[in-house]
Amino acid sequence: METPPLLKPGLYRAEGSAARPGQPALLGGVCACGHVFFPLQAYGCERCGGVDLQPRVLSGAGRLLASARVHLHPGKGREAPFTVGSIRLDDGPIVRTLIEGDLGALHPGLAMVTTLVPVADAEGAPRLDLRFAPEGV
Amino acid sequence: MAAVLRNLRPVYVAGIGFHRYQFASATTYVDLGLTAVRAALADAGLAWPAIESAYFAKALLPMAPGRAMLRHLGATGLPIVHVENASASGSAAFRHACMEVAAGLADLSLVVGVDKPMPLAPAERLAGIGGLADDAFAPFTHFALLADAYAARTGASVEDIALVAVKNHRNGARNPFAQHQKERSLEEILGGRKIAGGFTSLQCTPVGEGAAAVIVASEEGLRRQGIDLSRAVRVLSSAGRSQRLYEDATRYDAMLTQETTRIALAEAGVSAADLDVVELHDAFTVEEVEYVEAMGLCPDGQAVPRLKAGEFDIGGRCAVSPSGGLIAMGHPIGPTGVGQIGEITRQLRGEAGDRQQPDARLGLAHMVGIGAVCYVHVLGAV
Ligand SMILES: [Zn+2]
Repeated sequence: METPPLLKPGLYRAEGSAARPGQPALLGGVCACGHVFFPLQAYGCERCGGVDLQPRVLSGAGRLLASARVHLHPGKGREAPFTVGSIRLDDGPIVRTLIEGDLGALHPGLAMVTTLVPVADAEGAPRLDLRFAPEGV
Repeated sequence: MAAVLRNLRPVYVAGIGFHRYQFASATTYVDLGLTAVRAALADAGLAWPAIESAYFAKALLPMAPGRAMLRHLGATGLPIVHVENASASGSAAFRHACMEVAAGLADLSLVVGVDKPMPLAPAERLAGIGGLADDAFAPFTHFALLADAYAARTGASVEDIALVAVKNHRNGARNPFAQHQKERSLEEILGGRKIAGGFTSLQCTPVGEGAAAVIVASEEGLRRQGIDLSRAVRVLSSAGRSQRLYEDATRYDAMLTQETTRIALAEAGVSAADLDVVELHDAFTVEEVEYVEAMGLCPDGQAVPRLKAGEFDIGGRCAVSPSGGLIAMGHPIGPTGVGQIGEITRQLRGEAGDRQQPDARLGLAHMVGIGAVCYVHVLGAV
């Protein structure tokens, strides 16, 4: 079977980074001042205001800062319950997203890695979307 | 160096008025707003034609609702400006009215906040910089993550954090303008509908509508209308800030609160320990424990023990959210920051009845808004 395309190819890729070749990488950016950010944007640096912004591949690994099980969700197209978390990437930026895997074990400080999971896009076509899961589970 | 409010002409709150915060109804925003404005005028002892400028705070109503409402008081031709600053719309409107009066450009200015529940689309999403799963994050989801981190950092339990809701519902039960006016036990609060993380529905601000109005005045403007300062409350400082980059980016609400409060207290020449009454942005229980620490009302990590000791109760060292706060009084968005000023004024006048903080002399109002922005005002009894 063919591998479905990525749901948000502007934000991540299936291929890993040099540091974490086994984990899908995130597509961030870096400013000439050294500020590393996610996602990539070209408007200007939040730290220094500079516009010399370059793409930077970020490793799909980090530490869990917090998580929460969501029991009620107002938006359409996503059914509760699901679990969300905030993760500080090894490369610096903090991301907030959905968590997969062994949810009972979640606690701040836990090592987390990226994974691609099958989803459907708005038209129902199969896609792969990025999630974080506890490492080694 | 630029001036601060306190170095300009003294500014007072001379009148307050509300329409009760309530669940969405068929009442028009015009009805809501006029009720609050007429109450504020009556409270101040002023007639509408004396008002020289109007600041209309709203976040959800469509473009330019101000004149369509205010004309029913008599179309005096006064300047009207609309202020939108998310949850802090009312606080921002109040700040700008204070600046106009302090600068001497007006003597008597109206601040009114009105809103009704409407669908909204955060402008941040229009920037075209989408995140990994933006659609999965409602405001309560953001604060559920903060609650998890707060618990891990301080050892507080879900039950501990829910005690904020017990206190604020108790206060709201004594406020005739509150959306929720019912005391709730900890068991009732924890047994409610689960929302996210440890939050149940009674730990989250309700969606609703309402209105609040205050009259901002100079002494000269009041005297010209034959009114003295006996019921006036002085605005000692006004601070507004927006989010910077912080070491722990997830705690931007608390960091922003800390720096904005520090500025407002310094400009007023007081310290957090001097405060008798505080109204803060407690849309979710965890915010109160985060913010009382960020403001310096207690040391880091001590909010829960201090809450349990009754320090933040009415009658305690500093009453926090005696109105019931956003959790019980409600958060109709545009009115909320104006309503906080109304509650602090009522407390500093000693007119808060059975929710009066004894001998209240100094009060602080705090709002954060999506974006993120933050406003803090310090008010003092005259
Ligand atoms: Zn930079």
